[in-house]
Amino acid sequence: MRTDAPSVPAGGVASATPDRSGNPPRRRSPALRKAFPYLLLAPAMIYLLAITLYPGLFAIYQSLFVVKFLNWTWTGLGNYSQILQDREFWAALGNTALIGGISLTLQTAIALTLAYFAYRDPLIRGWRIIFLMPMLFMPSAVAFIWKLAFNDGRVISDLLMSVGLVDGNVDWLASVWLARMTLIVADVWQWTPFLFIIFVAALQGQDQEIEEAARLDGASWPEIFWNISLPMMRPVIVVAVTLRGIDITTMFTNVFVMTQGTPGGATETMSYFIYRQGFRMFNFGYASAASVLMLILTIIIAQTVVKRAFHSGKK
Amino acid sequence: MATARKSRGESRILRYLILGTWALVCLLPILWFLSIGFRPRTEVITPEPIYWPTFSLDAWRLLLSDWPIAKYLLNSVLAVGGSVVISLILGIPAAYALSRYEFRWREDIGFYILSTRMMAPAIVAVPIFFLFRSMGLLDTIWALMLIYAAVNLSLVIWIIRSYMLDIPKELEDAARTDGASDLRILWEIIIPACLPGIITAAVIAAIFAINEFLFTLLIASTANAYTMSVALANFTGGSDGIIYNAIALVSFIAFVPILILVILIQKHLSRGLTMGAVKG
Repeated sequence: MRTDAPSVPAGGVASATPDRSGNPPRRRSPALRKAFPYLLLAPAMIYLLAITLYPGLFAIYQSLFVVKFLNWTWTGLGNYSQILQDREFWAALGNTALIGGISLTLQTAIALTLAYFAYRDPLIRGWRIIFLMPMLFMPSAVAFIWKLAFNDGRVISDLLMSVGLVDGNVDWLASVWLARMTLIVADVWQWTPFLFIIFVAALQGQDQEIEEAARLDGASWPEIFWNISLPMMRPVIVVAVTLRGIDITTMFTNVFVMTQGTPGGATETMSYFIYRQGFRMFNFGYASAASVLMLILTIIIAQTVVKRAFHSGKK
Repeated sequence: MATARKSRGESRILRYLILGTWALVCLLPILWFLSIGFRPRTEVITPEPIYWPTFSLDAWRLLLSDWPIAKYLLNSVLAVGGSVVISLILGIPAAYALSRYEFRWREDIGFYILSTRMMAPAIVAVPIFFLFRSMGLLDTIWALMLIYAAVNLSLVIWIIRSYMLDIPKELEDAARTDGASDLRILWEIIIPACLPGIITAAVIAAIFAINEFLFTLLIASTANAYTMSVALANFTGGSDGIIYNAIALVSFIAFVPILILVILIQKHLSRGLTMGAVKG
């Protein structure tokens, strides 16, 4: 191990120098001192590597085979060349981006609007608890709420009929866009609170005096929000939206419970594609190849977007 | 003067209109779903939706007689509790190292830990499935405990690290000049000082673990390891179709403790949800 750690905190320069207070210097070899933070990190690192690096390597290895139960047949890059020509794979990628993108845009807009109106309101504590509630249900429960409301219980159709927007029962799973919309509604309903909570906290944490000063200068609340608060909370928005965006790309539960990818794969997300290939069709090699491609995408996103977001958020 | 007051009054109406509407959007589905839990099965799926159902404890009786609901609850509690303990034991020393020491690759290690949070469960699902199968852990709560701890470790480390960074250095410098060892400083000074952070991390980790779905779906195949979250998906008892009223009840049984936990850490929620990046 090289020895160019920039600055070791108190007492690190070591055993030779006597301690300030005149206490006997702690006898510990410099090598151990240097290794100490790594030792503290080691258990966590080993654990994380075991569930990321090992599965990653395993997936790469398995993706080179056609796996039929216990039969592994070498195929080299066969799975990859097949998957890159697989329309279902590209559809799943597109669906994930499309459903995720619309959903993320909507919940960001709604959460910002709500945060703008709520953060100065005297009843903010009450609003916060109410708005938070959808997020506190298990995702599988939320999926069933909306499955029942849209499809099985026909409540949404009935309500829309009573205000005259549709006539007759709507089959939400029959049309590509209606089916996607049910997933978007479920996701927006459950996860807008995530962004709302963070945005409100950011707005409340801002320096009140700047607002006061702007107020005295005759600025209106919308002007203050648009010109002062919003630019100031940009780092927070970036972090929150990035985290939410990443979770959206892993969307699985709602698809599993509500649509199973119907109609004709229009609501199949990447996660569901991998699940279906692996655990419904038992094409484990193929599923692994898809996992590897998704992993590469994740690494690219993490290295670019996330790294930047978390650096700006640290301020 | 007068116009200013008037516009302020209007904006208040607009504000309550918008906030009130969203409150209804949040609450109505929840109340309606609660009503599903207390109506007879014959009134759940009907040609015309029934908004004012007859009150019934059918679902409750069905849960108690036909489904080992206590077992699911126990599985959830054990797997989630165990996973939180594991992630704290591994995470606290790691957070301490990241927040208190200068060493090579510190930023890179920190970012690697953060990035494990970004990984879709589906990516590692197949290998994890094979791994647990080879270890003979499929369909056990041990496997769930291990996987939940892994899923949550990054968030636990980052949240606690953020709180540790807030602790003034002088506090430990004093102890250090008195000759206390680093581990004693961690145990006797740092951990008590960042207890709110540790509790926040534990609560958020617990919520994520209760909610976890995909891994649990693959690992658990019988009541031996079913948790509340995945048990829901199995109330689809064959010829009976989906038993919505039982699902609704179970959803609320899980909802109440989560609500209480979240109210307890309300002030720290936004900081926890952003893994410490946003100080709320």
